[in-house]
Amino acid sequence: MRFMVFVRSPKPVAARHGDSLLRAGVLLDAGDLVPHACGVSGYWLIDVRSREEAVERIRRIPLPACVVEIRQVAVV
Amino acid sequence: MGATTSVHRTIDAVWRMESAKVIAALARYTRDVGLAEEMAQDALVAALEQWPAEGVPRNPGAWLMTTAKRRAIDQIRRRENFNRKVEEIGREVQEATPDASEGIDDEIGDDLLSLIFTACHPVLGTEARVALTLKMLGGLKTEEIARAFLVSDATVAQRIVRAKKALADAGVPFEVPEGPELATRLASVLEVVYLIFNEGYSATRGDDWMRPELCAEALRLGRVLAELAPKEAEVHSLVALMEIQASRAKARTGPNGEPVVLLEQDRGKWDWLLIGRGLKALERAEALNQPPGNYYVQAALAACHARARKPEDTDWQRIAALYQVLAQISPSPIVELNRAVALSMAFGPAAGLALVDEISGEKALQGYHLLPSVRGDFLVKLGRTEEAKAEFEKAAALTRNEREKTLLLERAAACG
Repeated sequence: MRFMVFVRSPKPVAARHGDSLLRAGVLLDAGDLVPHACGVSGYWLIDVRSREEAVERIRRIPLPACVVEIRQVAVV
Repeated sequence: MGATTSVHRTIDAVWRMESAKVIAALARYTRDVGLAEEMAQDALVAALEQWPAEGVPRNPGAWLMTTAKRRAIDQIRRRENFNRKVEEIGREVQEATPDASEGIDDEIGDDLLSLIFTACHPVLGTEARVALTLKMLGGLKTEEIARAFLVSDATVAQRIVRAKKALADAGVPFEVPEGPELATRLASVLEVVYLIFNEGYSATRGDDWMRPELCAEALRLGRVLAELAPKEAEVHSLVALMEIQASRAKARTGPNGEPVVLLEQDRGKWDWLLIGRGLKALERAEALNQPPGNYYVQAALAACHARARKPEDTDWQRIAALYQVLAQISPSPIVELNRAVALSMAFGPAAGLALVDEISGEKALQGYHLLPSVRGDFLVKLGRTEEAKAEFEKAAALTRNEREKTLLLERAAACG
């Protein structure tokens, strides 16, 4: 199942910190967004086996002072 | 109860993420993949006992690793085998603390690659390689593998036990092969990954729920492999092939589960994200400038279709040329038959017919219903309906698929 992970931080960090997801073969897409005060600064789109796996994988990425939102992509 | 199940789901997720790394690292120390796998399983049992009560440790991967290593030492001691191995592992355990902040990710690459090569070693039969790979690299449970392949749990368990024994008996070293051996060993790995993918992709067998899971597993394995062995063009090609094939998953069956052929698929239902990834993987393969391999040609063929937003945009000339390359790498009359179809699409039915007539004497094609079916198709397009009718009837008599037979007889009848 796919999850979109939104990273909120003052500076874009997602594109630089997705390495562990890439090596695990779960990263489908990643990107930084044009800065916006305290808003979403970047995203990862991952394909994992469960919500728990998504949480465990994201939890381990060292992201100081960021808020992360993990949302499942709806299956059409 | 709710909390327990949630901890169990977390343990499940952690296991699938960490087990391959734990087994790989243990196998490096013990030089015994079978023992490594058993000790990792023991660590999982310990986690299932302790974590629900004590909570999931901060670094669950390191916890599993330390626990598994301790068990490995106990096991080896119990076997009264006080050799160099014990000292080595003992030292490692003292160095590794369960709450080491960075986990076990970083230097594990070579071990993981060694584990893949070991699980897919050619001394093992295909079924054994597939089961061992799903178990040790994918972290799947025996029951899940059994469910995916429609066999009993006991069968899979036995396959795995025998495979581990076969590896030990053959004295397969735990390492990444080098030199001339690498090519055949890599081919064996890629074969296993693609087999897992196809097992999931083929609509004929397996459980509905496990089938897509097998495709996803093969894709993940392929992507992991592409990062571990980035200089191997065939690895990127296989990833490209799987990404592009997976992109059509939603378009390849109709509302009643009937197959929809490529040219009739609703391309709006293709997963364009996966297509983009597939094309990128193909570019990575091409950038390595290696002689085209089997997976490369197959991926390049798939890409020709993926690049066309509409069926009529398909680059048939390139497809015909790619089949010619494929015919050189792995010659087969079936490839030639495909080339004939591509030629007819690119240059007209007469070009296709010429090739079909050239290969129609091939032994391997005798009794193969697609030969007269394709020939009939060319003849219809050339207006030679009487001959076409005979070909369709011949094809209908040869096929064992009832639906196809009806379709062919309808085509024969339409020829007047």
